[in-house]
Amino acid sequence: MGNDLALMIPEIIVALTAVAALSAEMLHRPRAAYIASICGLALAIVFTFSLVGENAIAFSGTFRIDPLSVWAKLVLLPTTILSLFLVRSELAGSDREGTAYVLVIMTTLASLLLAGVGDSMILVLGILLSSLASFALVAYPRDDAATEASMKFFVFASVTASVMLFGLTYWFGGTGSTLLSELSILEKSPVLAAIGFVAVVIGLGYKIALVPFHFWAPDAYQGAPISVAAYLSVAPKIGGVFAFAQIVRDLPVESGWQWIIAIVAVLTMTLGYLAALVQENIVRLLAYSSVAQAGYFLLGVIAFGPSETITLGYESLIIFAAAYAAMNLGAFAVVMQVGRTREMFKGIGKNAPLMAAAMVMFLISLAGIPPLAGFVGKFLLFGAAMDAGYTWLVVIAILNSVLSLAVYLRIIVPMYQQTDTHSCHALESSLLNSTWIKPVWLTGLFFTVLIGLAAQLLLGKL
Amino acid sequence: MLPIVSLTLFLPLIGALYLMYLRNATADKIHKIAIITSALTLLGSLIMWIRGVSDTGFAQIEQIDWMPSIGAAYRVGVDGISLPLVLLTTFLFLLTFIFSSNVRKQPRTFVVLMLILETAAIGTFTSLDAILFYVFFEVSLVSMYFMIAGWGHEDRQRAALMFFIYTLLGSLPLLLAILGLYLGGDVHTFDMRIWIENPPLEGTAAMLALIAMLFTFAVKIPAFPFHTWLPAAHVQAPAAGSVILAGVMLKFGTYGLVRFSLQMTPDAFREAGIAVLIFGIIAAIYGAFAALAQSDLKRLIAYTSINHMGYIIVGVAIAAITLDPEIRAIALDGSVLQMVSHGLVTGALFFLVGMLQDRAHTRDMAQFGGLLKTTPMLAWFFIVAAFASLGLPGLAHFPAEFQIFLATLREAPWAIIVILGIVITAGLYLKAINQVFLGEVNEKWNTLPDLDKRELLTLSPLLVFIVVLGIAPSWVLAVIHKTTIALAL
Repeated sequence: MGNDLALMIPEIIVALTAVAALSAEMLHRPRAAYIASICGLALAIVFTFSLVGENAIAFSGTFRIDPLSVWAKLVLLPTTILSLFLVRSELAGSDREGTAYVLVIMTTLASLLLAGVGDSMILVLGILLSSLASFALVAYPRDDAATEASMKFFVFASVTASVMLFGLTYWFGGTGSTLLSELSILEKSPVLAAIGFVAVVIGLGYKIALVPFHFWAPDAYQGAPISVAAYLSVAPKIGGVFAFAQIVRDLPVESGWQWIIAIVAVLTMTLGYLAALVQENIVRLLAYSSVAQAGYFLLGVIAFGPSETITLGYESLIIFAAAYAAMNLGAFAVVMQVGRTREMFKGIGKNAPLMAAAMVMFLISLAGIPPLAGFVGKFLLFGAAMDAGYTWLVVIAILNSVLSLAVYLRIIVPMYQQTDTHSCHALESSLLNSTWIKPVWLTGLFFTVLIGLAAQLLLGKL
Repeated sequence: MLPIVSLTLFLPLIGALYLMYLRNATADKIHKIAIITSALTLLGSLIMWIRGVSDTGFAQIEQIDWMPSIGAAYRVGVDGISLPLVLLTTFLFLLTFIFSSNVRKQPRTFVVLMLILETAAIGTFTSLDAILFYVFFEVSLVSMYFMIAGWGHEDRQRAALMFFIYTLLGSLPLLLAILGLYLGGDVHTFDMRIWIENPPLEGTAAMLALIAMLFTFAVKIPAFPFHTWLPAAHVQAPAAGSVILAGVMLKFGTYGLVRFSLQMTPDAFREAGIAVLIFGIIAAIYGAFAALAQSDLKRLIAYTSINHMGYIIVGVAIAAITLDPEIRAIALDGSVLQMVSHGLVTGALFFLVGMLQDRAHTRDMAQFGGLLKTTPMLAWFFIVAAFASLGLPGLAHFPAEFQIFLATLREAPWAIIVILGIVITAGLYLKAINQVFLGEVNEKWNTLPDLDKRELLTLSPLLVFIVVLGIAPSWVLAVIHKTTIALAL
C-alpha cells in the first residue's frame, strides 16, 4: 500500500494542488490560486522524473506505471502549466478566475488517470472527471455561445458514457473482473470482446473527438475561451489516446479491434481534414485539425497488438504526443494573440515576423513536414502501423497529409498577403495581456524544432 | 581531416542564421554576405572534388549518431554520381546570388530562403541516410514554396500552392517506400549504404516500393503525365527560383531514380525497365512537342526541361535493363552528365529569360524581334545556350546525350526513336531565335540596354563551362565513371 502510494505521488500532488487552488479561490485570492497551481504542477513534474523507466502496477493492477503513464505526466504537466499561462492571460480579473485553474488541473488529473488506466472502473472515473471539469470550463464565459456549446458537450457526454458503461458490463460478464489485464480471457469469445470494445470506442472516442463522435468539439472550442480550447484540444486527447493503448494491449486480436480502430482512424483523418478545409474561423479550423490529428494517433494504437510491434507503438505514441502538445498549443497561442478569423491573419507576416514564422513552423509541423516534430512523430506512427501490417492505412494517412497541407496553407497564405487595414487585430491583441502568451508559443516553437531535430533525447529515455 | 562535406553542407545554413541574427543590415550588405557564403560553399565543394571519390562505394563519409534507437544517423558522403551534382549545385547557387543581388523586395528573407534551399539541395545529394535524405528533400519544397509565393510574378500564389501540394503529394510515397525498406531489412536501419549493398526487399514488396518511388521521382523530374506543376511554377517563379528549380531541384528526381530505384530495388527495376523506358521516351517527345507549341519563352524552356529529363529516364532505364556492365556504365555516365549539362544550360537560359523580362516586362515571343541588333550580347549568349540545349556537338549536352543514345542503340535499338526529340527541339529553338532575335526590329525595344556587369558576371562562367563540358567532358566523366563501372546490380 505504501509502495502503491509512492508510485502515485505525482497524481496525488496534482490532486492536492487542485484542492489548494480551490481553497485560495474560496478566499478570493485568484493570484494565489494561480501561483499555487503552477508550483504544484512543477513539483509533480520533479517527482515524475524519479519514475522514468519504472514498470509497475499500483493498487492491485488498477493503475499502471509504465512508459505511457509516466510520459503522459511529462508531457501533460508542462502542457498544463503553459495552458494556465494562457488561461491567466485571457481570464485574469474575470469573475471566478480561480475556478478555471482548478478545473484545468482536475481535467489534467483525469487525463493522467486515463493514461495509466488498468481497470474499467478507473476508465469510467477518468472520463467522468474529465468531462465534468470540461463542461464547466467551456461554459465559463456564461454567454449564449458558451452555454450552448457546453450543453451540447454535456448531452453528448451523457449518452456516450452510458453506452460505454453498458458495453463494459459485457466485459465484466465475460471475465468476471473489472481489470483490463483479464481481458485476454476473452480470446474464446471474440464477439463479447468486440461488443465491449465498440462501446469503449464510443466512450473514449467522444473524449478524444473521433469521427463520428466529434460533433461537439468545434462548437465547444469555438464557444469556450481560446485558452480553454487550446488546453482541451491537447490534454484530454492525449490522455484518451493513451487509455486506448492501455486497453487494447490485453484485448485479444480475434475481437477485430485493430480493424475497428483502423476504420475509425480513416474516418477521423479524412472527415476531419475535409471539414477543416471549408472553415473561415481559425479556432474551428484548428478544432477540425485536432480531430484529424487524433486519427493519426490511432495508427500508433494499432501497434499495441502483437508484442513484436509494441516498442514502436510506445515510441510513436509518446513522441507524437509530445510533438502534438508543442505544436498545437503553440498554434492556439498565436491565434489568441492574433484573432479568431482568417481575415485577422492577413499581413502578420510583415507586422510580426517572428510570430508569423513560429506559426508557419507549427502549421507545417502539424502537416508533418520535416525536420519538425510533427514529421518525426508521424513518421514513427506510420512505421508502427506498417509494422503491424496496416500498410493500406498508412497510405490513407499519407494521402490525408496532402489534404492537411491544403488546410494549413489556408492560414499561411493570408499571413503573407498584403493588407490595407491592420486596425482589427491590433485591437484584438491589445485586449489581451500578451506578456504570458509569447513565452507559450516560444516554448512551443522550441520543442517543435527540438523534437524534430533531436528526437533521440526522448527516444533514448523510453 | 576537416569534415569538408558537413562544412559545405551547413555553411549556407550558418550564413542564413547569421543573416537572421543581423538586424538592420542594408540590402547590399545582405547580398554581399550571401555571395561570400555561397563562394565559400563552392570552395568547399571544390575541395570535395579534389579529395575525389573511391572505386568502391562512397567516399568522404562523415557520420554521427542521430536517433540510434530507430537506426537513423547523420551520415553524409559522396560518390561519382552525387559529387558532380554537388559541384553543380554550389556553382549555380553562387551565380544565382550574383544575379539576384539587385533584389530589393525584402532582400533578407529572400537570401535566407535561398541559403536554406542551398543547404537542402547539397543535403539531398550527400545524404547517406534515408531519413536525412527525406528531410532535405522536403525542406527544399518549403523554401521553394515561399520563394515562389513571395517573389514570383502575377499569379504566384496559385502557382506556389499548386507546386507545394503537388510535390508534397509526390514525395509522400517515397516515405512509404523508405518505411518499407526499413521494415523489410534484417537489421532495422536507415543506412542507405546497407540498403544498396543488400537490397532489403524482394518480389512483390520490392515492386510496390519501386512503384511508390517511381511516382515520387516522376513528379519531381517531372515526367509526363505528372509534369503539370512545372510550367505553372516556372512561369510564376522569380528568375533565380526558376534557375534553381530547373538547374538543381529537378535533379533530385533523377538522382533519386538512380540512388533509390536503381540501386535499392534493382531486380524490380529490371522487370519494370521496359515500362520506365517507354515512359522516358514519351516524356522526351511530349516535352519537345509541348515546347514547340509555346509562345511564352519561359514556358518553352520549362517544357524543354521535360524533354531533357526524359533522356535521363531513358538512360537510367537502359542501365536497369541491361546485364552488360559496360553498357550500364555508358548509360549512367550519359545520364549523370546530362544532369550536369542540363543544370548549366537551362540555368543559363532561365537567367537570360529573366534578364529579358527585367527589361521588357514580357515573355511573349511574338512581341519581340530583331533583338540581335539592340542587345547583341544578350542575344549571342542566348543563341549559344539554345544551341547547347538542342544538343549541338561541342556544347554541353552533346557528350551526355550521345552516350545515352549509344547505350540505347546497343541495348534496345527500337528505343532510339527518342532521338526524334532532338529534331523537334532544334526546330523550336530556331523558331524562338528567329522570332526574338532576328527579323524586323520592333521599335518598342530600341532603347533596351544590353547586359550589365552583374549579368555578365552571372552568365560568363556558365557559358565557359557549357563549352568546356562540350569539348572536354572527360574530367567530369572520369569521376562519374569510377562509380558507374563498379556498380553491382
